Amino acid sequence: MAKLNLKVNGEEIEVEAKETALLLDVLRLGLELTGTKRGCETSHCGACTVLLDGMAVHSCVVLAARCEGKDISTVEGLSHEGELSELQRQFLKHGALQCGYCTPGMLMAATALLRRNPRPSLEEIKAGLDGNLCRCTGYTGIFDAIQTCAQGKANA
Amino acid sequence: MDRKLIRPETMEQALTEREKYGRDALPIAGGQSLLVLLRNKLIDPKMLIDLQTLTELEGIEQRDGGLSIGAMTTIHNLSWSSDVHKVASVLAQGASKVGSTAIRNLGTIGGNLCHNEPGADLPPALLALNATVELRSRKGSRNVPLRDFFRSYFETVVAPEELLCGVDVPKLPDGASGVYLKHAISSEDLAIAGVAVVVVPDEQRTNTVREVRISLGGVSPVPFRAAKAESMLNGATLSDEAVREAAEAAAAESDPMTDPHASANYRSKMIKVLVRRAIAAAMGQLERNGNGKA
Repeated sequence: MAKLNLKVNGEEIEVEAKETALLLDVLRLGLELTGTKRGCETSHCGACTVLLDGMAVHSCVVLAARCEGKDISTVEGLSHEGELSELQRQFLKHGALQCGYCTPGMLMAATALLRRNPRPSLEEIKAGLDGNLCRCTGYTGIFDAIQTCAQGKANA
Repeated sequence: MDRKLIRPETMEQALTEREKYGRDALPIAGGQSLLVLLRNKLIDPKMLIDLQTLTELEGIEQRDGGLSIGAMTTIHNLSWSSDVHKVASVLAQGASKVGSTAIRNLGTIGGNLCHNEPGADLPPALLALNATVELRSRKGSRNVPLRDFFRSYFETVVAPEELLCGVDVPKLPDGASGVYLKHAISSEDLAIAGVAVVVVPDEQRTNTVREVRISLGGVSPVPFRAAKAESMLNGATLSDEAVREAAEAAAAESDPMTDPHASANYRSKMIKVLVRRAIAAAMGQLERNGNGKA
């Protein structure tokens, strides 16, 4: 076992984990941050997407030990003082989910996309979500929610 | 037993660990393929040697009109590098088609080559660029042309005491253009067939080429250059007929497999289509801009 010093959603946390533990397991089992979902565990589905220094990564294929000294953001960190983020509000408004299992990953991938490209086109949104699968919605609600965010920023 | 993570701070240390543990330890670059193999229990090394701390293995530099690329350079950085776009756009095209955004953010060029999974996107592009790789061990280093690097499914010539440290892409001939085309059901899949083409024009005669390079991925145990097809086109005027015959030859040179994604027969047919399309697209680029882009 090793002691890891991680910074998760702005908070410095010490956690015990196996030397080659995956970030997904440390978040869910070690820190009980279960918003990050366990999906395929083979980097296909994106349910476990978190941000590492602002970049979308699949936490099922990231060694937790490598994340020391980096900013880890999970879905639990999106809301601020009980207020949902704009993206989360738009997901609600557009019904961008059915079963909701892909939603945390979708939110994180879209958050990374909007930070890097505040006004993405529909094609850019699709490309930005190429690592995230949704088996319920057909994606349209998700794309609408993200586009509304993008337009909101454009008008601001 | 828990698997150990070795975190060398210098290249020298990494090579020492590599020599000491041989096949018991696997180097981990971006981890995007390796950690999936571990999860599926396809491999079970006692240790992982983490290369992430070796920042000297990261970066892209223009050198003698070509590129020198560190093994730990991420695929994201390859696909966005202005140097790569300027000097070897076919490599940027290949990089942009690897996996998904999240995989490109962490996956590396060195890991992609060493993993040697059929259908990987970088090997065809780098083969068409006549790239070489640098392998280092405690005893010294050797440069291996990429066409001699791949041995079989998931196997390369990298010895248990060696590390792949960098990839060199030589300068392309003036006016050359390059295209990578990938056929996959979903964009994040491996290629059912991937084709990279580099065309070097003959400045004296229109529609005539000095050299055509064709490399194929996903359709044989290893990615390879379709030498016979190339020889049919080198120095030739590219009529539809000549290109079609070369595309047939390229398909005949491949040895495709049947897997859940596609049958061998389908892969063979797709090669013919993709080789034709890639050559047409590269010739189209030449017409639009004879400015040395590839």
